[in-house]
Amino acid sequence: MKKILIIEDEEIMLDLIRRKMTSEGYEVIVARDGEEGLRLIKEGQPDLILLDLIMPKKDGFSVMAEVQKDEVSKKIPIIIVSNSGQPVELSRAKELGARDWLVKTEFDPRELVEKVRNILSEPIS
Amino acid sequence: MATKEENQLSLLLDDLTALEEYIHDLFNFSPLPICFVSPVGVILEVNPAMEKVSGFKMDEIVGEPLEKVFKKEEIGSLARETIREGFVDGKELRFFPKGGEEVVVQVFTRTRKDEKGEVVGYFLSLFDLTGIKKTEAELKRIQTALLNILEDTEEARRKAEEEKDKTQAIITNFTDALFFFDKDHRLALMNPRAEIFFKIKKEKVIGESINRLYELPELRALIKFLGEGIEEVSRKEFPLTEDFILEVSVISMKRDSVDLGDLVVLHDVSREKMVEKLKTEFVSLSAHQLRTPLSAIKWSLMMILDGDLGVINKGQKDILEKTYQSNERMIALINDLLNLARIEEGKYALSLAPADIVKICQSIVDLSEESFKNKGIKLRFNKPAKKTIQVLVDEEKLKLVIQNLLDNAFKYTFKNGRVSLSLKEIDKGVRIEVKDTGMGIVGKEQKRVFSKFFRTNEAVLVEPAGSGLGLYMARNIIEGHGGEIGFISKVGQGTTFYFSLPKEKIAKA
Repeated sequence: MKKILIIEDEEIMLDLIRRKMTSEGYEVIVARDGEEGLRLIKEGQPDLILLDLIMPKKDGFSVMAEVQKDEVSKKIPIIIVSNSGQPVELSRAKELGARDWLVKTEFDPRELVEKVRNILSEPIS
Repeated sequence: MATKEENQLSLLLDDLTALEEYIHDLFNFSPLPICFVSPVGVILEVNPAMEKVSGFKMDEIVGEPLEKVFKKEEIGSLARETIREGFVDGKELRFFPKGGEEVVVQVFTRTRKDEKGEVVGYFLSLFDLTGIKKTEAELKRIQTALLNILEDTEEARRKAEEEKDKTQAIITNFTDALFFFDKDHRLALMNPRAEIFFKIKKEKVIGESINRLYELPELRALIKFLGEGIEEVSRKEFPLTEDFILEVSVISMKRDSVDLGDLVVLHDVSREKMVEKLKTEFVSLSAHQLRTPLSAIKWSLMMILDGDLGVINKGQKDILEKTYQSNERMIALINDLLNLARIEEGKYALSLAPADIVKICQSIVDLSEESFKNKGIKLRFNKPAKKTIQVLVDEEKLKLVIQNLLDNAFKYTFKNGRVSLSLKEIDKGVRIEVKDTGMGIVGKEQKRVFSKFFRTNEAVLVEPAGSGLGLYMARNIIEGHGGEIGFISKVGQGTTFYFSLPKEKIAKA
């Protein structure tokens, strides 16, 4: 069973994504801020990370920047799940190794599942 | 043999003859009219100058009384005075030449006596004053004229002074800062407001050249902004400091196509800019804040609808689907507000990069095709002759514009209608057209379609959702690219929106 780490500070979104992913048959672990997220990336060894950007303690960009420094962690694919989607943010996230980007108001849970499936079905490099 | 006395006498006689000839020559030569007059006033001899002035030949005047050429009453006293005093020195009398008009002359006389001291007559000489009198009169006339001119000039000067005082008062009390550069680009004038704005005394800068002014830290930014040539600009924003924003206009002053110089007007717009910024920040912040709960609602509804949270019945599903649509409209509105705030803030000013405009159009057509098909509208993309056309644009923003125009065509065109997107290369750049066979825009509302938050009554009836921001943003973006946007519309027949992007913005392929 593939393991997904959700890093999201908004409780209802966290709950919704967790339910969706669980019902799709994934194992889910969650973190409610950037610091906790970083800890779980190392300890939980997820196969994929769903990352919010604006969060307390450490924002999504800082999380990505730290993940980049770790040879093991940096191989884990990251999908940004954010309320914002400005071009400057998008290009910065790509530089920091984000695999995909999803603006919450423009996508729905089904599309998120599709993106996750696509990435996880790729052969591991 | 002549005696010694005879010899001496002969020599003396020779001398006398020579002297007589000398005097005669002198008398004849003298340019002054002279005559010799007997004690009773009969002219005995005249010189050629007198003949000339009087107009009488010698034989006409010699032997005649002085009254022939003078007035009797004037000449009588002259004769008496001469006999009594021995001379008259420059008496003004009227003189009457032959057949001519009287002239005023100055008369000089001197008596001549014989060896016994008896007066045998007197010399009378004239000095013609006509010329002088004429000159004098002329001078007087000129003087009067000059005085008149002076008076006029004084009047004009006074008026000019008044006018100048008025102008000066206006310039001094003007609430905008003013600089005037003369045609050699030297600072000729600045008002107190300009001194306050730039914290510099005018004594320090008046008369200085642009280059010299550039060296002053107080004025450097302004001079840099104006440029060496001081080009004309109209209401261009010039932030002096972060919270002190001026609007600059440069007016080239000309009279009868003669360059007088340039007037620089600086208007303080800090307050307006601050209010604008606050408003933008408020919109941006609230839009972000509003988006978060809307996402939560969207995702919740979607999952309930998908049955992820248990089976729902048809009634529940219908209601939730409508709720979902309402929420989508809310999201669209917030997105428009967010985009607008971003554009107005200018914080995401255009980031130009080379892009293929054909590809941009194609990608939008591809995205829109399905919804057009579903509504029963034919969508066509009229491609240009060239396969690719490179342009220098902000791709993200430009897509927003094209998408927006297509969305409008989609919304306001009915089933079985046609919509086309055309891309053409024109000599100035490229022109893009979105043409529909839709409902059209009512004439009286046409001039407002680019206004912020404006929607026509008809548009609201057909499509209740909509922020009225799409075209406002489109115009901002196109004008930001240096292009033009416009439309032609006829009610019931359709609307064509078009815009151009200028050539200088087009990168060489």
